[in-house]
Amino acid sequence: MSQVISEQKRKIHPHKFTLWVAIGSILMMFAGMTSAYIVKRSQASWLMIEIPMMFWYSTATILASSVTVQLALKSLKKREMINYRRLLAVTAVLGVLFIVLQIVGFGQFAAQDIRLVGAGSNASYSFLLAISGLHGIHVLGGVVALVVIAIRALNSSTRSYSSVPLEIAATYWHFVDALWIYLFIFFTWMK
Amino acid sequence: MSGYFILIILVLAFVLIFQISKASEYVSVLKGEEKSFKQSNRINAFLFILFMVLGLAGAWWCNELLYDRTLLAQPAASDHGEKIDFMMWLTIIVTGIVFLLTQVLLFWFAFKYQYSEKRTSYFFPHNNKLELLWTVVPAIFLTVLVGFGLFYWFKITGDAPKDAQIVEITGKQFNWMMRYPGKDNVLGRKNYRLTDASSGNALGVDWEDGASHDDIEASEMHLVVGKPVQLVINAQDVIHDVGLVHFRLKMDAVPGIPTTLWFTPKYTTEQMKKITGNKDFVYEISCDQICGSGHYSMRGVIIVETQEEHDAWMASKKPQYLTVQEGAAPAAPAADSTAAAASATMSKPLAQLK
Amino acid sequence: MSSETISHGHTEEASVHSHDSHEAHGHDHHHEESFLSKYVFSTDHKMIGKQFLITGIIWAIIGGLFSVLFRLQLGYPETSFPVLEDLFGKWAAGGRISNEFYYALVTMHGTILVFFVLTAGLSGTFANILIPLQIGARDMASGFMNMLSYWFFFLASVVMFASLFIQTGPASGGWTIYPPLSALGQASEGSKLGMDFWLISMALFIVSSLLGGLNYISTILNLRTKGMSMTRMPLTMWAIFFTALLGVLSFPVLLSGAVLLLFDRNLGTSFYLSEIVVKGEILPNEGGSAILFQHLFWFLGHPEVYIILLPALGMVSEILSVNSRKPIFGYLAMVGSLFAICILAFLVWAHHMFVTGLNPFLGAFFVLLTLLIAVPSAIKVFNWLTTLWKGNIRFTPAMLFSIGFISLFISGGLTGIFLGNSTLDIHLHDTYFVVAHFHIVMGVASFFGMFAGVYHWFPKMYGRFLNNTMAYIHFWVTLVGAYLIFWPMHYSGLAGMPRRYTDWSNWQSFNQFQDMNRFISTVAMIVFAVQILFVFNFFYSIFKGRKVTSTNPWGANTLEWTTPINPGHGNWPGDIPEVHRWAYDYSKDGREFIPQTEPIGADESKH
Repeated sequence: MSQVISEQKRKIHPHKFTLWVAIGSILMMFAGMTSAYIVKRSQASWLMIEIPMMFWYSTATILASSVTVQLALKSLKKREMINYRRLLAVTAVLGVLFIVLQIVGFGQFAAQDIRLVGAGSNASYSFLLAISGLHGIHVLGGVVALVVIAIRALNSSTRSYSSVPLEIAATYWHFVDALWIYLFIFFTWMK
Repeated sequence: MSGYFILIILVLAFVLIFQISKASEYVSVLKGEEKSFKQSNRINAFLFILFMVLGLAGAWWCNELLYDRTLLAQPAASDHGEKIDFMMWLTIIVTGIVFLLTQVLLFWFAFKYQYSEKRTSYFFPHNNKLELLWTVVPAIFLTVLVGFGLFYWFKITGDAPKDAQIVEITGKQFNWMMRYPGKDNVLGRKNYRLTDASSGNALGVDWEDGASHDDIEASEMHLVVGKPVQLVINAQDVIHDVGLVHFRLKMDAVPGIPTTLWFTPKYTTEQMKKITGNKDFVYEISCDQICGSGHYSMRGVIIVETQEEHDAWMASKKPQYLTVQEGAAPAAPAADSTAAAASATMSKPLAQLK
Repeated sequence: MSSETISHGHTEEASVHSHDSHEAHGHDHHHEESFLSKYVFSTDHKMIGKQFLITGIIWAIIGGLFSVLFRLQLGYPETSFPVLEDLFGKWAAGGRISNEFYYALVTMHGTILVFFVLTAGLSGTFANILIPLQIGARDMASGFMNMLSYWFFFLASVVMFASLFIQTGPASGGWTIYPPLSALGQASEGSKLGMDFWLISMALFIVSSLLGGLNYISTILNLRTKGMSMTRMPLTMWAIFFTALLGVLSFPVLLSGAVLLLFDRNLGTSFYLSEIVVKGEILPNEGGSAILFQHLFWFLGHPEVYIILLPALGMVSEILSVNSRKPIFGYLAMVGSLFAICILAFLVWAHHMFVTGLNPFLGAFFVLLTLLIAVPSAIKVFNWLTTLWKGNIRFTPAMLFSIGFISLFISGGLTGIFLGNSTLDIHLHDTYFVVAHFHIVMGVASFFGMFAGVYHWFPKMYGRFLNNTMAYIHFWVTLVGAYLIFWPMHYSGLAGMPRRYTDWSNWQSFNQFQDMNRFISTVAMIVFAVQILFVFNFFYSIFKGRKVTSTNPWGANTLEWTTPINPGHGNWPGDIPEVHRWAYDYSKDGREFIPQTEPIGADESKH
């Protein structure tokens, strides 16, 4: 065991490692949520969920943002700073767009007269809201991180070519992306 | 006044202890660190052995004082309870031996191997045989305990016999309500939305269901000695727990999720009065899951009686359906004395709803 | 000191974790520190550890005081204390503690001691102070995150403290906050605003724990000094590592449970609520499951008790070895048993739910796994006993508390064998037997571990000693008091006496213990007073204690004793020492102790 770990020691930046542990931790939260969902599903008064079309669009958006953040990282490593800033901004915008689309998607439930919360709501839909909401907060955290990195990139006085912060942010970004894909598949299959 | 007096004494004691402690620190510096260390080491080692001796004596004395007040001193009042009592004694004996062995070794070693200039410690970092020994031996003992435990667990949680009497018990803040299925031995359907204590339907029974028409409601639980009983357990507001100490059983009452529990009472209330030598003895239902500010007062009573007594009691009760139909007593719901007190406060929000 | 974190990220990239890179900035910043950056927004792990410790002590006084208050009610139910009415107004009208107040006190006592004192105060303190010092690092992987961890804890503390002053009172549904009681404001005063405060405070607390835990794990795995392989780490480090792992993997699940509860409380959803009629009001919620919350809660809740206990296990092992002047017996078995406890901690949560109508087959599975925990626990106890055997024991205050810890761990652990067996749990569940069990094994035992740690590492923290005489009084009164308080409670538990009752006088079955309750309450007050003595000793000694004159006052092998008496930010003024051996070479080859930094001699015997 110690052998493996001391191997790692030479390879991985401690902040990156911290992120991986954090990802494990976040995964536990969603594992808790989705297993609660599965337990609930087997009980009475469970409704079938129809996923509105809008969620497909938001899924496409977040997938696209994963590509752009990867390209941004590539640009940074090649020192193409203009491209890098542009791609970073695009990623952040796509992240915000994703959240907006999610909110619109939930608006469509209201249009179908399905209550997500309050009297007459059903736990199956409330779960959808709670889980996606939690995920949205994590995306928002990623957007904040990207904005901070973008501001630092624009600020010439602390000019730095270290790719570590962006690598960490990108890993996190891919993670929330993959997490959404998992949740999306989960919701479409588990209805 | 005496409160302040105690406070002053306390503060004085505090100052005294502090001054002595400071002084002893100076003394130890004067005496030499080495010498005072040896002295306090001897005292502490002696205190450990003293603690062990007095502690074991104290445990004995505590047992003398309190044993008769526990349920260990009286027989279990149900067949399941007897199994649990056996399991309890088995566990007490096994853990008791381990307890004595380890605590005595601990304090004895602390005393025996106290610091001495003459001795050097024995460098003993590991020994696979010993470590294997105290992995395997506890594992064997635990297997025995788990084996017995699970054997009884499945007996107790298994299905109730077909001929068991059915009694429904519903908890709400802060009392218990019972319902008996009547002659057809089927409890009428319920719908919580129909709950309306002021019109005599505190349990939310659906009168549309014919099976409910002979159901009898009561505030006490009447059981027949020697006859298995299955409790159907409900809660209306928050989680409660039907605690039956004399039968050694309990089961949560969860809103929306009915639970069950079965057992066979072995002694009538009258017999238990003789067994315990307590003429006021009564089987009590305690709420064992915190349920709000009145949790401690959520008491129910069980009367275990002979079949004849039970039949006579049943015959004296009128089915709740008839009571409601007659509309004779709209203000006294459920013929339930404990609920009556609560209904005064309960009817207020109901009035607002209408 | 934020410059340190930034420089990690920017200038050094790949080499940030290697030791030589630290040397450049290890000891050149701290002369410019302001009061604010040194004592308040410090990123130095030692200062953050002290912040955790002192906040923990303040909480412990509050939590302990609450227990004294409700013990007053239990011990003297007929007596009126006018002073209580002066202090608490309507909550103690007529000098008697009201029912709402009693339940609020009990709930807050549990919450404060479990989370704020024994989680944050214990592992927050010792993880922070000891990890970099014992593994040979300048600081944590991220000093900034570490600082955030404390300040989130501080915020959580503020919110929880504020909840004590709400009109309707703080949360009062027990520290386990089972819905529907905690979800319905109609059901209890404490489930109104107080419960929202509780949940918000816990959310902040969880964030704090996660930030801390992430840091502990990555520091231990990545920043160990040269030669410090995992198997050379002191057992404290292993224990803290597993503690952090437990926290990082289980707290998020509690968070999701709490989020759903917040939804149910404020947005009218039905995750936990179904078919409820509360005080005559018919609620619309259908299809929820109150039991679901218990699963989510105990998935954290059970690991949580090990989060509390494990650091104590580690510290006691270390202190026992140092003061017996003997290596800890069976180092690898000790690590293995910690690991086994850590794994099993995740697999036993439903043993808190045997009487909820759990599927009996599922229950059987949990019985088996629960009782399995007794095996690694037995290994630990026997290994400790063998460590004492043929030792040369110095009874320092830390050592006294460590021996006391073992005694309590045995006593409380054995009653766990009763409760983990579902058949007996049917009878004993939620009786005073449970109260006695977990107070001894988790509460008092962990406190003993914490006291042992404070007495042992106080010289490292403040460069001074605590007063020994006060320490001896503290130990002996606390040990005797703990047994006097909790031993008789087993008997009331065996009489089936339910916990969380304010008054038993109306019960035929439980009213026979009044004299015992009075006795317990009296002892509890004495023990509380002695803890105040300890707090006094603590603060007095920070400023006026006897000064430490040598860098290694206990003659210990671990790395923290190779630093200067008052280490600065960066811990070692020169290079970080290299490690050549495990931490437990005591009384080897006729030498009393051989520090970890000493290379293995040519003629040294093997072990």
